[in-house]
Amino acid sequence: MNPPDADLLREYGPFPGVDQIHGVSYDGEHVWIATGNQLQALDPEDGRVIRALPVAAEAGTAFDGRFLYQIAGEVIRKIDPLTGSVHATLPVPPGERCSGMAWAEGRLWIGQHRGRCIHEVDPDTGAVLRTLNSDRYVTGVTWVEGELWHGTWEDDASELRQIDPVNGEVRQALRMPAGTMVSGLESDGADRLFCGGGRSGRLRAVRRPRR
Amino acid sequence: MSVAKTADPLIQSAARSLAQGDPLRTLKQLGLRQDPSALALRGIALAHLGDLSRARALLIRAATAFGSAHAVARARCEIAAAEVALALRDLTSVPCALEAAQRTLEQAGDRLNAAHARLVQARHLALLGQIQAATALVESIEPAGLSPALRAVRSLLRSGLAMRRLDAGAARHALAQAHEAAREAGLGALQREIDTADALLQAPAARRLAPAPAGPLRLDQIQDLLSSHACVVDGCRGWFRHPGGQIDLAQRPVLFLLLQVLAQAWPRAVTRHELGRRVFRARDMDESQRVRLRVEIGRLRARLRGIARITATGHGFVLHLERSPCVLVLAPPVDVPHPDVHALLSDGQPWPSSAIAQVLGLSQRSAQRALESLAAVGAARASGRGRARRWHAPPLPGFATCLLLPPAPSAD
Repeated sequence: MNPPDADLLREYGPFPGVDQIHGVSYDGEHVWIATGNQLQALDPEDGRVIRALPVAAEAGTAFDGRFLYQIAGEVIRKIDPLTGSVHATLPVPPGERCSGMAWAEGRLWIGQHRGRCIHEVDPDTGAVLRTLNSDRYVTGVTWVEGELWHGTWEDDASELRQIDPVNGEVRQALRMPAGTMVSGLESDGADRLFCGGGRSGRLRAVRRPRR
Repeated sequence: MSVAKTADPLIQSAARSLAQGDPLRTLKQLGLRQDPSALALRGIALAHLGDLSRARALLIRAATAFGSAHAVARARCEIAAAEVALALRDLTSVPCALEAAQRTLEQAGDRLNAAHARLVQARHLALLGQIQAATALVESIEPAGLSPALRAVRSLLRSGLAMRRLDAGAARHALAQAHEAAREAGLGALQREIDTADALLQAPAARRLAPAPAGPLRLDQIQDLLSSHACVVDGCRGWFRHPGGQIDLAQRPVLFLLLQVLAQAWPRAVTRHELGRRVFRARDMDESQRVRLRVEIGRLRARLRGIARITATGHGFVLHLERSPCVLVLAPPVDVPHPDVHALLSDGQPWPSSAIAQVLGLSQRSAQRALESLAAVGAARASGRGRARRWHAPPLPGFATCLLLPPAPSAD
């Protein structure tokens, strides 16, 4: 059974200096494309790239809305993404290699031991304010629902598939134009699915079918 | 009314990060947003990481922001907040919101979270010692169609309740199911909770004082003793177990101690002097103490009628068993004052004294005195002030002090 063709709404790019798109996400306003050394924010209405963040290793970076924090060996660099300059250098919490970092509630949260141990860190001084160990599962409330879309590439044909988030079954599928590949897929929550075009360096917007 | 379909892909992506056990990623994805869904998910992420007070504040803010217009989302926040309150041992604020929230989710078709709400309710009942009610509630949740994480939580709860019912076999079986479901879920914190429960099942839950050899007893060993023809003086729960049932002496500490001393010496007699010393802490037995002893012996005889007899010897008293071949004496596994209070603290969570009082049916003052005497022997520690004051016990990983806590007097 052949799935229906995807309805291609728009194609963005190529973007200067970008030869591959690795991932796509959407923050409600802009589409973020992962292009190797950078995360670029694109306005999907006019197609302009409005911001670029230097991102060496995605797990070891965090953003507080103004500054980018990046783990580099024994230090955390606090970088001004508008100028690229290092605003401050903080010490990394002592111990094992850090497995991840996030910014929330005015603090940096840094994981060690594959996330078993989380340090709550002062983002101005790097001081470890508290260390949390999660050996209790609190809470089990889940927010997963709605639609989950995956891109697949088999035998030179790409498809967009909608997956049931609870049992993994395929609910519906769309066929992408011949020769295109899908590297990253995100919905804007409304009518569009944004697809990274892999080595084409392009981003495509496809109409999201209603059920 | 259908489940509100969240239109926001970042919220969904963050929700999946949580479901996959990566709460740090959730924080990272939503750290800059202040909409109610972002607050709710950050609250859940912080709960997963262990920052319970911030988690609760965020979940309450999210619930308020959702309001009655988003009843399902609000209900989810209320359930998560109740669960965090439970973990904080803030027991008073738990029950009311849960019932209404559970019904909202049930009616809206949010099956997974509705089932989860029932598990939280059951856990609350279990904490209060209402083992029968908790068991009935857990058994009413259909396991088919639950996510692996929920199946693991359900099995973990079933194993804990089986342990409180002294059914080691059922507890082991439920733990095996919990392990399998947790492996499927791939959630580290869940797996660690199950490992803790495993250790609990293997640890001493009581001490045998008599007859020799004295020593630690695991749950399965206690279960065997209690289903044998022996009589058991159960110093953990204040009961006298006999093949036909049990006599509850928990409210009669003097009678219980008298029985315990006689049972420890059985089949030999105990002198009046020794009884006075151990039961009344009397240094010598003057006439008033002797009268007192006769009165208490009389009371104990009345309670033991048909099961055991107490006869007077030249210098003291001796216990006779009517139908059992022997009597054993059990005590809590760790020798501390107020072992029931200590048992609650030993679950590793910080407890407010009000929660201790509520669970054990003590007055606030009795609970406070018990905590202070535990602190005096280094078995408990307080931190914080006023409403935020919490009590902890230094962890005793080799002991299962809580398994033989008496069930709650009222409901069971």
